[in-house]
Amino acid sequence: MGILNKAAAAGAVFVLVAGSAMAQGTLKIGVQVPTTGSEATYGRDMANAVVIAQDEINKAGGVLGKKLTMVIGDSACDPQQAVNAASKLVSQGVAGVVGGYCSGATLPTLKIYGDAKVPFVITASNSTKLIPANPGNAFMINSTGDQQATKATEFLASKGVKTLAIVNEGDAYSQDLANLTRDDWTKAGHKVVAFETANKGEQDYSAIVTAIRAANPDAVFWTAYYADGALLIRQLRQSGYRGVIAVGDGSNSTKLFDIAGRAAEGVYAFSNPIAQFLPAAKAFIKTYKAKFGNAPGPYAPLTYDGMRLLAWAITKAGTTQPAAVIKALASAHNEEWLAGPITFTKHNTLARSNFIVLEDKNNAWIRADK
Amino acid sequence: MSLLDILAHQLLNGLVLGSFYALVALGYTMIFGVIKLLNFAHGDLYMVGGFIGFIVLSAISSVVGGGWFGIFIAMLLSMLAVGFLGVVIERIAYHPMLSAPRLSILITALAVSLVLQNTALALTNGQYTAFRSDLGFGGITLGGLFITYNQMVLVAAAAVLMIALEFFVTHTQYGRAMRAVAVDADMCELLGINVAAVIGVTFFIGSALAAAAGTMAGAYYGSLWYFMGFLIGLKAFTAAVIGGIGSIPGAMLGGLVLGLLEALGTQIPGIGSEWKDVFSFAVLILVLVFKPTGLLGRSEQERM
Amino acid sequence: MATDDRPGAGTTPALARLAGPLAALADNAAARRAGIVALLALMVVAPFVFGEYATVILTNALLYVVLALGLNVVVGYAGLLDLGYAAFFAVGAYTVGILTLRVGVNFWLTLPVAVCTAALAGVIIGGPTLRLRSDYLAIVTLGFGEIVRISARNMSITGMASGLSGIHQPWLFGWHIATPRDFYYLFCVLAILAVAVSVRLADSRLGRAWLYVRYDEDAAEAMGIDRVRVKLAAYVTGAIFGALGGVFFAVNLGAISPESFSFTQSVLILMAVILGGMGKIPGVILGAMIVILGPELLRSLGELRLLVFAVGLLLIMLFRPSGIWPGRGRQQ
Repeated sequence: MGILNKAAAAGAVFVLVAGSAMAQGTLKIGVQVPTTGSEATYGRDMANAVVIAQDEINKAGGVLGKKLTMVIGDSACDPQQAVNAASKLVSQGVAGVVGGYCSGATLPTLKIYGDAKVPFVITASNSTKLIPANPGNAFMINSTGDQQATKATEFLASKGVKTLAIVNEGDAYSQDLANLTRDDWTKAGHKVVAFETANKGEQDYSAIVTAIRAANPDAVFWTAYYADGALLIRQLRQSGYRGVIAVGDGSNSTKLFDIAGRAAEGVYAFSNPIAQFLPAAKAFIKTYKAKFGNAPGPYAPLTYDGMRLLAWAITKAGTTQPAAVIKALASAHNEEWLAGPITFTKHNTLARSNFIVLEDKNNAWIRADK
Repeated sequence: MSLLDILAHQLLNGLVLGSFYALVALGYTMIFGVIKLLNFAHGDLYMVGGFIGFIVLSAISSVVGGGWFGIFIAMLLSMLAVGFLGVVIERIAYHPMLSAPRLSILITALAVSLVLQNTALALTNGQYTAFRSDLGFGGITLGGLFITYNQMVLVAAAAVLMIALEFFVTHTQYGRAMRAVAVDADMCELLGINVAAVIGVTFFIGSALAAAAGTMAGAYYGSLWYFMGFLIGLKAFTAAVIGGIGSIPGAMLGGLVLGLLEALGTQIPGIGSEWKDVFSFAVLILVLVFKPTGLLGRSEQERM
Repeated sequence: MATDDRPGAGTTPALARLAGPLAALADNAAARRAGIVALLALMVVAPFVFGEYATVILTNALLYVVLALGLNVVVGYAGLLDLGYAAFFAVGAYTVGILTLRVGVNFWLTLPVAVCTAALAGVIIGGPTLRLRSDYLAIVTLGFGEIVRISARNMSITGMASGLSGIHQPWLFGWHIATPRDFYYLFCVLAILAVAVSVRLADSRLGRAWLYVRYDEDAAEAMGIDRVRVKLAAYVTGAIFGALGGVFFAVNLGAISPESFSFTQSVLILMAVILGGMGKIPGVILGAMIVILGPELLRSLGELRLLVFAVGLLLIMLFRPSGIWPGRGRQQ
């Protein structure tokens, strides 16, 4: 998209927002994602998913007879910025908030939404630190790291892997997953022969690759995101590494193949049920591609679900009264969504892990656990 | 792998990484030399260079192919374009500031950096761009050491660029003028040297070198990102200082030293790769404490 | 503070227009006093007039006023370029986090510990490096900042990459400082204290020694000023300001993580110092306000807001190279 188009679009959004504030019959939904800074890639992807959900809901008549309007709050993946954005969303009178990408930035906003009694559907952040900090109005629809670590340990052991190298990126999400997997893997009686940390945005992983090659593990597990994961996979294969490579749910995007290309052949990914394996999501992928020109990223389906879940809860409550909406959210029971059924535990986290295992065949995901 | 093989591999890794650091550090140090500015936007020129190289390659790959030859052409055009961009930035943003307090121009450089990053963010919609090329994975084995052809070409290309620069600086009139301006710009002005032109040439060359590194890195690693200049800018700055800021051979040496430090830092027993950067910065601080001018820098009096 | 009653106004032209009256304000003592009184009155009523969102933003801006004034002692008074100031900010924040959460110390007792830790950190890093020329000092401080951030990310006592959360909000003589408005007033007091200390420092013996060292190190040395010691004093003072900012930042947010203390953070604070006009206290305050309020006022632009902010910044620097705040300035 050209910069002029973007400026025009921004202008249009501005006019739209300004106009809608005057018009009756709209319902504002806050979208807390990073749209600037180093994590904007993921935030934009999540915001795009919300646009699709919003358009679909509005086309179907909206919620409680009102049209939904999304208001983006740029968290910039920074705790302070996130607090500012959250306060602004609250001051704009949003009926609910979806999003939450960087756990560190999501954490301090919990209190703000809690104090303002705004329902908050967290669609990506999944640090276990969020659970005790939740005042009760937040709902996490992304499975937590411990569930993924368990899945990874089970699956890799079933593939005959004995020695494992784990690589993370030093951020809350990937470090958490790496540590949890190390614990599970050791508990299962196997060995972690290398435990490495890369820097985000560093293009050269050769030093880590050499360290891994020296330890010669049966498998390498990358716990962070696809963009840097693709580079690591390329460089691992380039160096002649022939063992198993597995990646976490931050890397389950098909964009992994754009960058890693043929080097990603045979890579396993632990993942939420992704769009392509659900008949209902075919349309989502198509709409997304048509609208934004690229395939949906790793958190797009969950964020799409988050927006729909919130709309569903408001409809079910029959009002935007926070207490009623929060009650409706908590009552979600096995309704089918894009990324699978949602039922919450008493901690407002997903009741059961819905992780699946994918494998790259000719740069497309197939199910590896069936 | 034996320990020796591991060390040999890490040396090779350090050499490749160090070549990129050195190319970017050269621009840092040259620009610092002539206008005493830490050009924080320099890393972003590396990013812009990568994107322009990619666009050119996409346009010409059907004619010349996507191999090293195509990349070479893309690199030259990218160097040219980014070189001009560097000159334009200097004219618009830095030139009017030359008489302002030194730290003000630093903030201007930061603003330029933000402008470049956020423009790229807007144009790419925040997406990572896959840099497609036809580079193979082939290579040769020397004992226990596997060297890819790509690594050889990269290091050779970086070396050629650095030798050419060294020749330019020591054997041409502009090169001599550049060194003279670095020593005393006011005196040069009095002696009839066109200082503004010298500064322009310096920006052109420095920016072009960053673009060369950006294009090669894009092709070699396979992806581009609007934020990719940030970290390498920081590292190149570090490299330039280790070598002695203002010194051209120092920047080359500093780049290689930093590349090697990072590669070997991953390998220290008992310390994981998560401490790699701490190790590099600790070495940097120690170098400066014991040799306050950097490895090849000259001692000089200065005022802020 | 002078710009916050004009939300939505284009930052750049508004600032350019402000320059004239500001100059008058800076020159005329009576006008100055009136201005300060008006400003204080505005500070008191602001939360009631502008609402909760503005209160949160202003609190954040006041935090940056404290941080920028601290860095101003280092950069503006003593002329030392520091690119790792966020490290001291981190030291303060983590001291509170660790002591209250892991040891169970009362919040107010962590304050002296944080101050001492920061001072110690300042001496450790400043001691061997303050002899270096400023560009080298810049990279050493940058390196120090990164070392602190990466260490916080890798150690379990600092909560690793997820950081520390659940930091309790303090009580002060029966007043539970909990709502945004409470924190706003707390930060008002802090900022006023920071201004008062800055003013006193500038006029003190030490302040004159800094001025001397900045103008001519050799002459200062010849006059019997121990330049390393004087520089170290500036460095440690700045460190203490930063740590205090960090302490209150931690209790305000209730959660801290390494990404709050990145290089970008250090750069933002430095930007505040230089943008307004370093060495000039009102200038530094204005700089902090612009750096925080600017991107906030531009929020409605969505993803382009940082681009617009950067262009604005560039224009400000081009038209007012010595900083926005007019007057003689201590620089040059």
